[in-house]
Amino acid sequence: MSIHPPLELAPPKRRRRRGTAKVSLGLISVPMLWIVMFFLIPVVLVGLYSVGVITLISYDQYLSLHAWRYFLHSSTYLGGPLGRGLFWKSMKMSLGVSITCVILAYPVAYMLALVAGRRKYTLLLVIITPFLTSYLLRVLAWRVLLNPQGVIQEMLRGAGVLQPESTISWLYNSTFAVYLVLAYAWVPFVALPIFVSLESLDLQMLEASSDLGASRWTTFRKVTLPMSMPGVIAAFVFVFIPTIGEYVTPQIVGGKGGYLFGNVIQSSFAASFDWQLGSAMSVFLLAAVAILLAIFGRYLNVRTVAE
Amino acid sequence: MNPAISKNGRRTLWVAFWFLVVFLYAPIVVLIIFSFNDSEIVSFPWLGFTTRWYHDFLANPAILTALRTSLLVATLTAIFATALAVPAAIALVRRKFFAKGLVSGLMLAPLVIPLVVLGISLLILFNALGVPLSPYTAAIGHVVIALPFAILTMVPRLERIPAALEEASRDLGASAMTTFRLITFPLLVPALISAFLISFTISFDELVISSFIAGDQATFPVYLYSQLRLPERLPSVIAVAVVILVVSVIVVVASEVGRFVSERRLEAQTGMAADEYGSLRSGKG
Repeated sequence: MSIHPPLELAPPKRRRRRGTAKVSLGLISVPMLWIVMFFLIPVVLVGLYSVGVITLISYDQYLSLHAWRYFLHSSTYLGGPLGRGLFWKSMKMSLGVSITCVILAYPVAYMLALVAGRRKYTLLLVIITPFLTSYLLRVLAWRVLLNPQGVIQEMLRGAGVLQPESTISWLYNSTFAVYLVLAYAWVPFVALPIFVSLESLDLQMLEASSDLGASRWTTFRKVTLPMSMPGVIAAFVFVFIPTIGEYVTPQIVGGKGGYLFGNVIQSSFAASFDWQLGSAMSVFLLAAVAILLAIFGRYLNVRTVAE
Repeated sequence: MNPAISKNGRRTLWVAFWFLVVFLYAPIVVLIIFSFNDSEIVSFPWLGFTTRWYHDFLANPAILTALRTSLLVATLTAIFATALAVPAAIALVRRKFFAKGLVSGLMLAPLVIPLVVLGISLLILFNALGVPLSPYTAAIGHVVIALPFAILTMVPRLERIPAALEEASRDLGASAMTTFRLITFPLLVPALISAFLISFTISFDELVISSFIAGDQATFPVYLYSQLRLPERLPSVIAVAVVILVVSVIVVVASEVGRFVSERRLEAQTGMAADEYGSLRSGKG
């Protein structure tokens, strides 16, 4: 495999812009091949699998819509449009987590970008560092804090706030626990795009606004907030998408009550071996993500997330 | 008057900042403290200080095997993701070609797929192809999700390397390959290191894809996850995780600081060289 694609395609005497198409093709082909082979084709395969074009395990039915029919009519998994199924529970969870993260991170991003001065990059690094460490460990830390024999409840018992025999049931193995831990895990990531969009704000605009008699609050409402919306939307989408398929956190701190849509996808492959149903649900989830991206895609500048 | 913030507002925002810092770090600090508790249960009561959980894991072959598997997968991922990101980033920054928007969209698309979906997709692919699952298949999957991050680490650096430097090299008779070797590549090295470290970290921490396509040889996160069912193993598992956490924080902070320093140096160096070249050219022509 050529790791450095052939750059030397143009004959030396010619002007170098000739042959550019070939060079570009050489550069892009190997990474492109990788993505097509191990991303695009597999995703298409899942779609084909869900309707039985491909079958791999004994439960599968060749060319059948039964998985789709079952999923679309089930009250546990979907429950109709805006129903009570796990899909909508996951949607609500991700929506709640994304909004919470934005609300928690915005003031801090605002402070770092516009108030903190020269220390802002150091302080930003302080906020982001937890995100760059083990996700599993951070979720585990909450299990240690929240469980009935955990640090928080034992501390409350020690202080006499909680009776020795009683437990706070909503704190652990609950939807609330999943919500809390997901918000915790994603807040640092949200701060980043908001910070970037606020930092690129032209401070003279704020001065102009205040010179023209606007109060700070009006300036914020009419200038700063609208101009930071791309960052807010990017943050929102980049929390919503990874959390919508999440099954690890629900398993560690959510228990049965905290199960989400990701858990049924995971268990249909790992436990119940209904791969067709799992595929159908995956396709449905991808479609939801695609709709979301179609709505918000034009506000997204992925770079704000990576830099 | 500062149009961004009043005096009281500033104080409130600082409070919000420190509140967030405490919220983010307290659980991790508590975990670290209780990893030294001489008790089978990672919680109160405090039964005394011990480092035995840290000795335990060195004597646990399963943990060491899992760590070795993770190191292999993460190293392979980092090498391939970085190697693929270099030509991709150069093409995206320096070249114009047909359907570039589509290509760059596809390259970055793995950023927006729920990992559980990618995991099962690859599981179906490898099963359909009859490829046995192994740490190598896990590495293939990890490259897919690390590649966008590696590309996005290199793109800004490439943009800041003035194209004039490369043009000067070509004008002086160097081939494209020589130009890449002597000009672009050396200037790209800091971004290469960042991309390598980011890809490594992503892979080392990745659980979802690994749990579907790593086969019987568990990576460290998969092993750690499987041990959660056995509470008596928890303390020693947490001890390893703490060690890894501390190491990864050091690596991350060091690489970020390094990147910052090298950015400054790049601006100073190339800015000067490009200016000189520019004035030479305009003087000639």
